[in-house]
Amino acid sequence: MKQEFDVIILGGGITGAGTARDCSLRGLKVLLIERNDIATGATGRNHGLLHSGARYAVTDKESASECIKENMILKKIARHCVDDTSGFFITLPEDDLGYQATFVKACTEAGINAEIIDPQEAKRLEPSVNPSIIGAVRIPDGSVDPFRLCASNVYDAKLHGAVVLTYTEVTEIIKNQDMLTGVKVQNRRTGECGEYHAPVVINACGIWGHHIAEMAGAKIGMYPAKGALLIFAHRVNGIVLNRCRKPANADILVPGDTVCVIGTTSTKVPYEECDHLQVMPDEVNLLLSEGAKLSPVLARTRILRAYAGVRPLVSADNDPTGRNISRGIVCLDHETRDGIKGFITITGGKLMTYRLMAEQATDMACKKLGLDVPCTTATTPLPGSEEGGIEKIFKNIWTMPTTAQKATVGRAGANVSSIPLSDEYEGSVVCECEEVPVSEIDSAIRNMDVHNLVDLRRRTRMGMGTCQGELCGCRAACILAKDHGDVVAVRNDLKQFMNERWKGMYPVAWGETLRECAYTQWVYAEVLGLNES
Amino acid sequence: MKFDAIIIGGGLSSLVCGIRLQEAGKQCLIVSAGQNALHFSTGTFGLLGRLPDGTAVEEPLLDIPKLPENHPYSKIGIERIKEYAVGVIPFFGKYGIKLCGFNGANGWRFTPMGTFKPAWLALEEIPFFKSPDEVIGHKALIVNYAGFMDFNSVFIAEGLEKKGLSCRIESVKLKVVENLRANPTEMRSINIARVMEQEECWKEFGRTVHSLLKDEDVVVVPEVFGLNNPLVCDWVREMIKANVLFVGTMPPSVAGIRTQKLLKKAFENIGGTFLMGDEALGSSISDGAVTSIKTRNLDGTLLEADDFVLASGHLFAHGLVASTGKIEEPVFGLDVDFVPDRNGWYDKNFFEKQNYLGFGVVTDSRFRAFRNGSLVDNLYVIGSEVGGCNSLNEGSGAGVAIMTALRVADEIIGG
Amino acid sequence: MEKKEVSFNNFEQCIKCTVCTAYCPVVPVNPRFPGPKQAGPDEERLRLKNKMFFDENLKYCLNCKRCEVSCPSGVNIADLIQSARRRYSAATPTLRDTMLANTDVMGRLARPFAPIVNSMVATKPVKAVMDVVLDIDKNRTFPNYKAHGFVGWFNREARSKQAAYSKKVAFFHGCSTEFQHPEVGKAFVEVMNAVGYGVELMNEECCGVAMIANGLWNQASRHAKHNVAVFEKMVGEGLPIVATASTCTFTMRDEYPHVLDIDNSKVRDSITLVEKFLFDLIDAGKVTLVFKKDYAARIAYHIPCHMEKLGWSIFTKRLMQMIPGVSFTVLDSGCCGIAGTYGFKKENYEYSQEIGRPVFEQIRALAPDFVCSECDTCKWQIEMSTGYKVLNPIVILAEALDLPATTAANRR
Repeated sequence: MKQEFDVIILGGGITGAGTARDCSLRGLKVLLIERNDIATGATGRNHGLLHSGARYAVTDKESASECIKENMILKKIARHCVDDTSGFFITLPEDDLGYQATFVKACTEAGINAEIIDPQEAKRLEPSVNPSIIGAVRIPDGSVDPFRLCASNVYDAKLHGAVVLTYTEVTEIIKNQDMLTGVKVQNRRTGECGEYHAPVVINACGIWGHHIAEMAGAKIGMYPAKGALLIFAHRVNGIVLNRCRKPANADILVPGDTVCVIGTTSTKVPYEECDHLQVMPDEVNLLLSEGAKLSPVLARTRILRAYAGVRPLVSADNDPTGRNISRGIVCLDHETRDGIKGFITITGGKLMTYRLMAEQATDMACKKLGLDVPCTTATTPLPGSEEGGIEKIFKNIWTMPTTAQKATVGRAGANVSSIPLSDEYEGSVVCECEEVPVSEIDSAIRNMDVHNLVDLRRRTRMGMGTCQGELCGCRAACILAKDHGDVVAVRNDLKQFMNERWKGMYPVAWGETLRECAYTQWVYAEVLGLNES
Repeated sequence: MKFDAIIIGGGLSSLVCGIRLQEAGKQCLIVSAGQNALHFSTGTFGLLGRLPDGTAVEEPLLDIPKLPENHPYSKIGIERIKEYAVGVIPFFGKYGIKLCGFNGANGWRFTPMGTFKPAWLALEEIPFFKSPDEVIGHKALIVNYAGFMDFNSVFIAEGLEKKGLSCRIESVKLKVVENLRANPTEMRSINIARVMEQEECWKEFGRTVHSLLKDEDVVVVPEVFGLNNPLVCDWVREMIKANVLFVGTMPPSVAGIRTQKLLKKAFENIGGTFLMGDEALGSSISDGAVTSIKTRNLDGTLLEADDFVLASGHLFAHGLVASTGKIEEPVFGLDVDFVPDRNGWYDKNFFEKQNYLGFGVVTDSRFRAFRNGSLVDNLYVIGSEVGGCNSLNEGSGAGVAIMTALRVADEIIGG
Repeated sequence: MEKKEVSFNNFEQCIKCTVCTAYCPVVPVNPRFPGPKQAGPDEERLRLKNKMFFDENLKYCLNCKRCEVSCPSGVNIADLIQSARRRYSAATPTLRDTMLANTDVMGRLARPFAPIVNSMVATKPVKAVMDVVLDIDKNRTFPNYKAHGFVGWFNREARSKQAAYSKKVAFFHGCSTEFQHPEVGKAFVEVMNAVGYGVELMNEECCGVAMIANGLWNQASRHAKHNVAVFEKMVGEGLPIVATASTCTFTMRDEYPHVLDIDNSKVRDSITLVEKFLFDLIDAGKVTLVFKKDYAARIAYHIPCHMEKLGWSIFTKRLMQMIPGVSFTVLDSGCCGIAGTYGFKKENYEYSQEIGRPVFEQIRALAPDFVCSECDTCKWQIEMSTGYKVLNPIVILAEALDLPATTAANRR
């Protein structure tokens, strides 16, 4: 099989997805290839913080001003993925209150609106904050759902003609002398092989881009910095909480969707570990003890799960912690750098600046293709974000929306119009914790490259609530089995799904979390009998 | 307030023990912090499904002697277990709970995922077979309520097809069930079961299913009948006029809830006192014996007894409480057998044996508990809280509950 | 922007088992109610994310607390629901709700015209007008307002005698004792006096339960603050607060802190029901009851929902079983459907009767001499729906006791 494209993008994380969208909007014929599902790497394994840039204001002005610009853009183009919560930088008694002035000055210089507020007022606005704070600065942080953001970019790229192949691994980079011309791939689900050609190949594989570059004959000094995070079972805070000091471990608490997330740690890990990250007990302890300093109630709050991601940092110096490496965008033209034509690597950066990264990579690709088309992603809303806030959307459709209908609008934004929710069956709830109805599951299976239950979870939040898939796993498996037809495969997939949930739970399984596990294990082993065979 | 015995916990072991004691003329109080695990029952009782090493068990009574010394069954002894085992069906039968078995051999329950799982005894309406190869029929009609998500029709069909049955899946829309969806929220077995209690509702279901029947000899429907009256299952069978299998749904379990209600009622009818929704908070222990407990609701009222039985369940029921590196028994602060390193609590495969489920309270050979290493003379531990077995892995949950309950009741009666 | 820390409520202990749904009386009869699990812990997570997730259908919750009694995880489900109504509901109480909620004001207004009011609200035309204008169901029978209240009787007949007792209790009589059932208060004073306790009344306000149910949050809080202050004074003087109504007792002990955020920690454990108070004294050997030799009755005991939540029905059972000549049957526990003012509302009338049906059927099947219950709204509902008389246990006790002999036995 041979196919021709203008550009092949490797990596279905947010950078690849954003680049695929940008290229498609500029009229290019795009192929996006992802080894797993979309948003499986660092994209889905971070805080989900919509940075204001304040965190970098003192240490990295360039990143800070990139962040605030992108922050304001995302609040417009990705409304349904973003929660404009605002954020605090708090000073605790053990911190230097003098840093606050430096911080505010740096924010102002970077264009970030930073307002010192009275600690009493801060406590009134955010009752979960540590009551012993001695200072607070309000900045325009927020939260962003990275799965939704990534899926929306992929969806829009497809609407504009892009072809998306998930579970497809690049086995070989095809080169014609110093010219990169395409890739050979293998479908990891079916084993089928294929070959695709394009004059430009963009490597957007994050930390795995190191390997892709090597296959192409280039070397990038990547720095895999593991960051561990904990998810708590409900939103303890309504406002993002940061420590007003130099960036350190576990100093950001982000309210995202129905939960909140504390993170992160930072440790260098060998490349081989990037696919098998585990959260260690000392990381859990550190996150809990530091987290409780931001919000003491965390010590009494149920932990849903632990997870870790790898920041795709590009080495600059020999800093052993990886904290002082620039979070800046790295866009490499391998033609000028390594003499490989038609090959671009876009890496570094962060979730917040994915759109800018995509713009830079697409600009470079267009230049290579001899095209001069302007970028429109800063002003074109993503599908779902065209019509304003969620309340406005559901008020246009229903007079008395049900809880599931409200929740679906919260996830799908204006796309909800394509999800039928009026009849009782369509509105039946699959995931009770996150209120995901049947039709949203159906719609994701049909339109959003869903191959298994874990993919389905990333598209819909099904299984992300307090019970971690205890019931909805089974219910969604039935729907998937009806759609895919292969009941035996879906039963195995259900087991994999439960194992994937368990992986995040056992590192924090004590208290109520362990109790939930005991119940779930009873249901799956004893009631359903899935431990046999 | 003074009783002969106070039992903490309100589940299977507690009620069996309480009923046995009341039958023997002992005045009992049961303190139960909410409802219990019978609500998530499979409708079957396991005595022993697997040995700790994973070997499948066909005749539990033959394999029980192979269990380690510390196992609750070993403490009871095979002779007593045999004696108790014979009495289980009549014991439950006396209180309206009809159990079926295969003369002591393990039978096979057809699960909600279309597989077979071994068990010792089953409640009357539960599909329970002598062997997974037993011929059920030739053609099956699988009927679900339209949009009821907790009945896994496709998996059930696949399981039956594997046995050579051809299957047809249908769904029925009944007005009463549709009505429940006016505000589509959770729709569990119990929501449907509560309306299926009404005669006109189960009759409409029976009629509708019968009208769908072509040449099928087997009809599979969700187990949502007989919440209060098990006869409803028989009546639905009669209306459908086929071999009807009431296959389990996702929890809660209708048969399990009915069993709980019947046992509680039996206990109260023979004079037992049941405090529902109350919680034992603290105890007075002097000279190695418990003298009284306090509960959350009864404020200052002291509850005194000659004997105390702890049946407050495992982690699920808060009978044991886990913190980062510790498992504790919260009411009396009893000694618990567990490994301190949390890495030893879990298997990374969700479906493998999990060690944490085997942690439990340390007891002597008569199931008396220890506190800071010393024996508490009149405090017994029964049910899933007893250490020495991983009942989920062994398939021995109900068996351990019943056997330890009977053993301790005898101990108290005899003493 | 205002947010309350909700982690005090242990809603995260919910493991989605739906045991609460199995015991919720509203679920099978009113599909618009989302059910306790969803309305409580599930939606609490969503409400914390965005208050637009508040569902006005939470008003269908009876606040009977049966979900909490059955919950194996110890979640205060109904508290979550009521607290969410308080924090997020945009609905303003109607004239009807305000009237029903103000049990005390209505009582005071009606009293001077009691005979007229009673006969008026019993007539078809007035019922029809109330049905149409006020949405109070026309099938509902109103309790009779008494022209002479309990407090008036106490001041005239009993107050002067109380000084003779060295031991004393403060009696919270509640609205229905004052306005509809003064005999309950009289029985209380008789029994307490017989066992050697004097009775003091307080400057009490209505406990506020009906205001909570009808969304009159500010008024309920004012009443709660007033009562807590009055109780603190009494408890400071060494007097326990004893009541005869289970719902008032429960509200003042637990709803004040859990739903209204009013701190009652100094007095909470001193607020008790007469049945518990008496039993504890008897159990400690401090009080002796002497019963009439010829008293006989077949009694069916309906445990009110809030009595289940308090967990105190054991005391009533023990006391009733002490009476020789009583055959005492405890009905299968279930809500009678009235839930205070809930069943009075036209939109709830049918649900209310449907919820109570199993209780009514049991009573009819048993055909007792009368029904025993600590709750006056249960009394109204059962009397209206079955025709059987319902008596407060303290009334039964006063009737069954040989009061002079009891007085003599407790005179030390």
